Amino acid sequence: MVDAVFLALSVLTIGSAIVALEIRSLIYGSIALMLTLSGIAGFFLLLDAPFVAMFQLSVYVGSIAVLILFTVMLVRRELIFNKIEDKRRRYAGIGLMLALMLGIGMIIIGSGMKSIETNSPSVDYKKIGEDFLTYYSPALIVMALILASSVVGALTLARREDMTNDQRAD
Amino acid sequence: MSTIAPQFRLSRFVASLFDIIFWVILIFSLVGLPIVFIILFYIKLPVINNQLMTPYLAMTWMADPSETLPIIKNLIHTTFFHVLAFPGFGFAALLAAATIFVERKFLAKIQLRVGPLYCGKVEGILQLMGDGLKLISKEIIIPAKADKPIFWVGPLLFVGTAGAFVSLIPVARGWVVANPAVGLLAVFATIGFFPIISVLTAWAANNKWTFIGGLRALHQMIAFEIPLILSLLSIVIMTGTLNLSQIAESQQHYWWIVFAPISAIVFFICILAELERIPFDLPEAESEIVAGWLTEFSGMMYGLIQLGTYLKLYAFAGLFTVLFLGGWNGPMVWPPFPADIVTQGITIGPITAKIAGLPLFDQDMLNGTLWFVIKTVGVILLILLPRGVFPRIRIDMLLHTGWYKLIGLAFINIFIALGLLYAGVLGPGGLIQ
Repeated sequence: MVDAVFLALSVLTIGSAIVALEIRSLIYGSIALMLTLSGIAGFFLLLDAPFVAMFQLSVYVGSIAVLILFTVMLVRRELIFNKIEDKRRRYAGIGLMLALMLGIGMIIIGSGMKSIETNSPSVDYKKIGEDFLTYYSPALIVMALILASSVVGALTLARREDMTNDQRAD
Repeated sequence: MSTIAPQFRLSRFVASLFDIIFWVILIFSLVGLPIVFIILFYIKLPVINNQLMTPYLAMTWMADPSETLPIIKNLIHTTFFHVLAFPGFGFAALLAAATIFVERKFLAKIQLRVGPLYCGKVEGILQLMGDGLKLISKEIIIPAKADKPIFWVGPLLFVGTAGAFVSLIPVARGWVVANPAVGLLAVFATIGFFPIISVLTAWAANNKWTFIGGLRALHQMIAFEIPLILSLLSIVIMTGTLNLSQIAESQQHYWWIVFAPISAIVFFICILAELERIPFDLPEAESEIVAGWLTEFSGMMYGLIQLGTYLKLYAFAGLFTVLFLGGWNGPMVWPPFPADIVTQGITIGPITAKIAGLPLFDQDMLNGTLWFVIKTVGVILLILLPRGVFPRIRIDMLLHTGWYKLIGLAFINIFIALGLLYAGVLGPGGLIQ
C-alpha cells in the first residue's frame, strides 16, 4: 500500500516538476509547481512527519506559490524572463542535474542513512519544540534575528515617503 | 383525451412498464450482480455476532427488524458513514443549507422586510429548494476566451477544500472524520488553499471584474491569515496540544474565551474576512465589480461555489466553538435511553417486540452533538448579523486592519497566555486544572 502511494507521489512530484519547467504557460507552470510542493508534503506524511507536512503545505503551497502566482499574473512576462534557448544549454543543464543527483546520491548512500531503524515510532512535535528551546536554542535565536531583520528590511522597502498618514484616514 | 399526450393509451403505458421492468431485471442479473460480487470479493466483510457478514445474511437479517439494528449500528461506525453522513459532509451540508435560508429571513427581519414569502406557503420555507432546482436546471455558460480546465475545476476544488476543512471539526467526543495529532496545523494548511483557488478561477474567467475580485480576495485572505494563526497560538500555548479533540476536551470546566477574549475577537474578525462577508465583502462587491470573482459562474457551478462558501462558514463557526466555546461540553440535558425497552422490549397491545442493540447512539454523543449544534448556530447567527448592519469598508482600511491592528491585538493575548502559564494559573500543576 505504502509502496503504491510512494510510487504515485513520486510520479506526481517529478512529473509536475518537469511540467513546471517545460510548459509555455506561466500560470500552468506555477500550478505544476504547487503540485510538486504538495507531493513533497505527501512524502513527509509517508515519513510519519505530519508536522513538517502541514507546514510544507501552509508555507510553500499557501504562501510562496501564491507569491509566485501573484508575480506571474501582475508583471509582464518580458520583465521577469529573458529566455535564452538552445540545444547546448539544454543538454548542459541535464548533464549538470545528473551530476548533481549522482553526487548527492553518493553522499546519502555513503552516510549512515542506510542503517537507520525504519520501524521506530514517529517523532512527536513536542520533542522538536523541546530540542529547539534547549540544545538548539542558539540556532533558534539566530533564526529569529534573521527573520526580524528581514521583516524590518521589508518594512523599510515598502515604506512610502509620499503618502502622509492623514491621507489614509480610518 | 389528454391535451398533453393526445396519443396516450393505457395498454401501451402498461406494456412499456413491463418492458422496462424486464430490461432492468435482465441487466441487473447479467451485469449488476457480477459487479456486486466482484466488489465484495475485494472488500473485507465485517464479522457481526461471530458470523461473517455475507450479502445473503444481510438480506436475511433485513427481513427481520430485530436484526436490522446491529447492521445499522455497524454502518454508523464505518468511515464511509462518517465521511458522507454524520460528522462529515451530509451534516455540514444540512446546516449550511439551513444557514442560507435563515440568513435571508434573518436579514429581512433586521431590515424590516419580509424576505422569502410565497414559496411553500409558510414563510417561504421551500424557497431554498426552488433556488436549488433553478440552479441545477440553468445552463452552464463558459466565456469563449476562458481558460477552460481551470475554470471547470475551480468550483469542484473549492467544495473539496471546504469539505476537507469540515472533516477536521470534531462534533462530539470521538465523532470526527479526520483526527490528526496536528489538527490545527491541518486547518491552517487547508485555509491556505482558498486564496489560490479564488485567484486562479478569477484569472481563468478572463474578465476584468473577476480578476479585480480575485486579486482583492487574495490580498484580503493573505492579510487576515496571519492574525488568524496568531490568535489561535494563545489557545495552543494554554492547552499544549494541536489536536482539536483534545482542545475541546480540555474545556470541561471553563471555556478558553474566558482567558483569551482578545484572541476570540481577533479570530472572529478574521473569520468574517476569510469568509468574504460584509463588512469585508470586497472580493464580491456587487455595487462596484458586478459579483467579483464569481461574475462568470452560472448554473450549478455557482451553486457549488455557494455550497462551498456555506460549508466553510459552518466549519469556521464549528472551529470557533471548538476552540473558544468548549466544543461539545455542556450540562447533560439529553434524557437517558429508557432501560425498560432494552430489557423488556416494546409492548404494543398483545405484541412485545424485543429489539437488540437499541440505544443506537449513546447519551453522551447525543448530548455533545446538541450542545455543539446550539453553540455553532449561535456563532453562525453572530457571523450573519453584521451583514444586516454594516456597510462595506475600503480596501486600505481592510489591509490596515489586517496587517497592523489585528496582529498587534493577537500578540497581546499570546503574552497574557504565557503570563498565565508561567504564573502557575493554568497548565500542568496549575491552580486551575
